[in-house]
Amino acid sequence: MKWTNIQFGEMEYDAKHVLTFPDGLIGFEESKKFLIVHDVDSEPFRWLVSLEEQDLSFPLVEFSNTHSEILGKYFSQENVTLFAVVSIKPEIDDSTINLKSPIVIDTVNGTGRQVVLDDDQLNVRTPLVTFSPVLAE
Amino acid sequence: MLILSRKIEEEIKIGDSITIKILGIHEGQVRIGIDAPKDLKVFRAEIYQQIQKENADASKVTKSDVASAVQMLKQKKNNKEK
Repeated sequence: MKWTNIQFGEMEYDAKHVLTFPDGLIGFEESKKFLIVHDVDSEPFRWLVSLEEQDLSFPLVEFSNTHSEILGKYFSQENVTLFAVVSIKPEIDDSTINLKSPIVIDTVNGTGRQVVLDDDQLNVRTPLVTFSPVLAE
Repeated sequence: MLILSRKIEEEIKIGDSITIKILGIHEGQVRIGIDAPKDLKVFRAEIYQQIQKENADASKVTKSDVASAVQMLKQKKNNKEK
């Protein structure tokens, strides 16, 4: 299947990789179909690319492995992957990731949700630089 | 907007499945208990607005923004290791 995104150009994808977000993302409820896109220059970040709006994409970073305690505390299923939405600002120290409301992907049924975790320790604007261990890989 | 006065321990029902209970009032803060179906999202309005803003900011980020952030993070890491 084919889709054209303004940032990624024409992309070919397999229907089995399409993720369904029944509620969309918070503030973006209209877009329900997405792909997770790997881009070499963006590694280790990923992109959540809408298959319904050509100009809609979100940078993400996976944190199920680095923050396995969050995974264990809130999600009982094994087939769940957690991503944080990444907000990049001109100053790297101002860039943040949203650990409070992760994108939760069920890798078995291919659904995704943006949940809000009931935990005052988790911040909507967690400094990205405190999270840089992902770059050690 | 419907406006109701409630005392501590009193409840408000919204439809069949949602109950809101006033648990306590202390120094200008009201503690509220909410019983609602699991699939219904309940959270503080200001958190919702923050998340909305973060998502909106993230949706404007470009590939080159991310690529330069990756370079800056690598540089930061290298500087630390020196």
